[in-house]
Amino acid sequence: MEAMPEEKAEFEEAEIKYVSYGGEHHLPLIMNLVDQELSEPYSIFTYRYFVYLWPQLSFLAFHKGKCVGTVVCKMGEHRNTFRGYIAMLVVIKPYRGRGIATELVTRSIRMMMESGCEEVTLEAEVTNKGALALYGRLGFIRAKRLFHYYLNGVDAFRLKLLFPPPPRQELSPSLDT
Amino acid sequence: MDGHSPKLASIPASDSTVWADASPLLQAACTGLRDGELIHGDNFNLFAAMSALEIMDPKMDSGIVCTYYSIDEAIENGAAPIPISLDSTIDVQRTIDIMDHLLACEAAWHKGHSLAQTVFSCIYLLRLDRTAPHALLHSYCRVIRATCKAVVSVVSDARAHEEEDLFTMTYGLPLNGDGDDKCLSMLNAVEETISRQLRACKAASSKRRLPEDLEPLQSNSNLEEGFCKALLCRLRFRKHFFHVLACMKRPQGRGLESARKHIASCMTELESILKSADFIRSCFGESYEGDIDDKTTASGREPIGFDAMLNSRLSAPTPPRAIKILSWKKAVQYFVKLLHDLDVICSYPLDPHLESLLRFVVQFQISQPDLVARSHLQLLLVQDGKLYGRDPFFAVITKAAALPEATKNHDIQKNESILQLGMLVMNLLKILCTNAAWQRRKHGKFLQDWRVIYVQLELAFRNEFGEVSSSSNDENICMKIFQHILLWVEEKTYWIAFRFLILGFELELYSTSEYCMVYWYLYAVLTKLAEKTHLKIAVSYDIAKRKGKKKKDSPKDLARESRIPPAVLFLQCYICLAEGLTMILAALRNEISVFQSPGPFNTEQEKFVQHFELLQRACIPDHVSYPSYKESTTHACFSTLAMYNYFKDAQRIAKEVKSSFSNDPDRLAELRKLEQVAEHNSVAQNLICRLGALDPSLKVSFELSHHPFFATVVVKRS
Repeated sequence: MEAMPEEKAEFEEAEIKYVSYGGEHHLPLIMNLVDQELSEPYSIFTYRYFVYLWPQLSFLAFHKGKCVGTVVCKMGEHRNTFRGYIAMLVVIKPYRGRGIATELVTRSIRMMMESGCEEVTLEAEVTNKGALALYGRLGFIRAKRLFHYYLNGVDAFRLKLLFPPPPRQELSPSLDT
Repeated sequence: MDGHSPKLASIPASDSTVWADASPLLQAACTGLRDGELIHGDNFNLFAAMSALEIMDPKMDSGIVCTYYSIDEAIENGAAPIPISLDSTIDVQRTIDIMDHLLACEAAWHKGHSLAQTVFSCIYLLRLDRTAPHALLHSYCRVIRATCKAVVSVVSDARAHEEEDLFTMTYGLPLNGDGDDKCLSMLNAVEETISRQLRACKAASSKRRLPEDLEPLQSNSNLEEGFCKALLCRLRFRKHFFHVLACMKRPQGRGLESARKHIASCMTELESILKSADFIRSCFGESYEGDIDDKTTASGREPIGFDAMLNSRLSAPTPPRAIKILSWKKAVQYFVKLLHDLDVICSYPLDPHLESLLRFVVQFQISQPDLVARSHLQLLLVQDGKLYGRDPFFAVITKAAALPEATKNHDIQKNESILQLGMLVMNLLKILCTNAAWQRRKHGKFLQDWRVIYVQLELAFRNEFGEVSSSSNDENICMKIFQHILLWVEEKTYWIAFRFLILGFELELYSTSEYCMVYWYLYAVLTKLAEKTHLKIAVSYDIAKRKGKKKKDSPKDLARESRIPPAVLFLQCYICLAEGLTMILAALRNEISVFQSPGPFNTEQEKFVQHFELLQRACIPDHVSYPSYKESTTHACFSTLAMYNYFKDAQRIAKEVKSSFSNDPDRLAELRKLEQVAEHNSVAQNLICRLGALDPSLKVSFELSHHPFFATVVVKRS
């Protein structure tokens, strides 16, 4: 067992490249990141479901050719609202705290907004202060608390972001001044 | 997997099945698809594929053999020996370990883990019949099984567990045993034997010989007394706990008094169990390393006969996540709390007044009782569609609405809307017994129903009495009933809205940047609630006056009429605090731009809409919207704040109203907290008004340190 103290990577924010999901070659990168950092046992089919159906909503962050973060999402109709859902968000430990996760999520949410989503939702452990702060800054509210949502007995918050209604279309052409 | 592959004999082929090697087929299948390809069919798309398992992945495949393939194999390999040891002293020690671990498992189950991974990880319990030669273990296991069955039954009946559904899933575990109803007599027989043994070894110093028919429990006579005592308190706890459950199950609360006696006995035995730990550890000889407080047994040893993985195939295709069983100490603490909560329930005098009952349930929930206690409360309150199984809900409503006693027999109870109202009240009581998260969601959802009922009743009222002229006596009564009930329904609706809002604080749903709008909305709801409560009390006072047949109003009566009732004053104290907090938050936001969080994707308006959607949809209250919120708070600033101190008002009211609640310790306690909040906030407000705009080093925060939903303003220098 390694007992190294966590080392922070050194980098400039501009060195991080953000890329939209580009195909099968990105899949093992995403899978490795998520398998490493999150405890859910996802089969390859789970990943394929998201990235095949909504490739435009998944993003990867690279630093000097190495994949350091990813976000995986979906969107669809849910009880008469068209809604986006953030399924997985991971940034490896040495790269945390520098806004990479925020940038990944922001890109995905922007894409959802442009695709006509009315709101975005996700669940997060009530103890995950980092995630709650991140999403809070982006405008999510804690809509519900889910008792013992996780199998280890921890509660979850359902976080929701409501987009403002789209601006009304101009009915008559504007006059030239 | 070498050495652990199941012998083919343990999974025999039958008449219609045969073992065949599928490796070539799988090999061919592997080369049949390229990376990125997926078999596609009518019933098999990407979504369905997510349920696929990777066989032999221990995180996903619960069919993987970990230790033993089956319970029988475990037993064949000596995992649960009977007797536990040929050495009687060790046998007794190990039996106590099993009892302790089972208690820890039971507490873990109550706390939300599955029965299969906790209590039924015990191999002895899974094959109870084979323990028959070991009277002590056998009777103990039987009582455990019968107890678990009783608890599952209570929680299922209450269905308070929708969010906590892991609890009642028994997955085909052997919960039903023949003869389990006689488990207590078996336990009593064993208890009697050990009691006699204890008496004998206590008398052994004076008498030379033990009576001939008594066999000692184990071979070390120095330890005999200690072991007898350790066993007796454990057996007696189980016996009394089983009795508690049986008594509380009796209809209409008939068994509550007896239950209290058994609860007291349980507490005594739990104390003895804790005290026995010293003896149990001392007769060991081995020194113990590590933290004994974390262990699931008093002795600190791992118990024999438990394997949580044996049931994994019963649970689900995916293996359950490994869980941590509570420590033995924490398990005892859990049962102490559970028994305390049950005792509170058993002490309740079944008050027919709904208002007192609602206050009792709200107060009870403050100590955060667990599922088992809450289920018992719910079953006591709502049985056979009646309150306490005794009072029809129409009678309860008419009493709460301050209508005369005879009203409860009135035909109006057959009215469809009145029937629905009865159901809503019944649901309200059930909801109040659920966990806070679930409760808030249900309150929000049912607000709409309460509003609809009000509208329906109002419509029915207007249809019947549109033209109010000289009416018959019966019409008069009907009119009175409608009037009172309408008023009462409105008051209840605002009360539910109030609960919905304040539960958000307990559940930590609001960030500080949202406090301003929340307190503003709370202020609006409380204002309406106070208004309706005041009207309701005035109307009930009217009835009382009329009953008293007073010809002339005495000065005392007039004074009483013009005085604001204490219940309303209490609400006014709330109102002042809500208003004060709204204004101070608004001023801080307007003057020094704190507690706002503009995000890139939306504005404060969207957050307002989301937080109050359910209230807005039900028009609770009317004429409240984001623009009116903005209007109320846009001009708040430090100079306007300095002009009026709502917190001082709150302080004054709290002081004034204390004497009216001298018989109500809970409300007195809350008033003290409200006073503290008001005092702190008054001082903080003065400070902020004097220095706020000038001193950038001033840091203001809002902490729920004194009161569960009114924040204390804390001002610090950074």
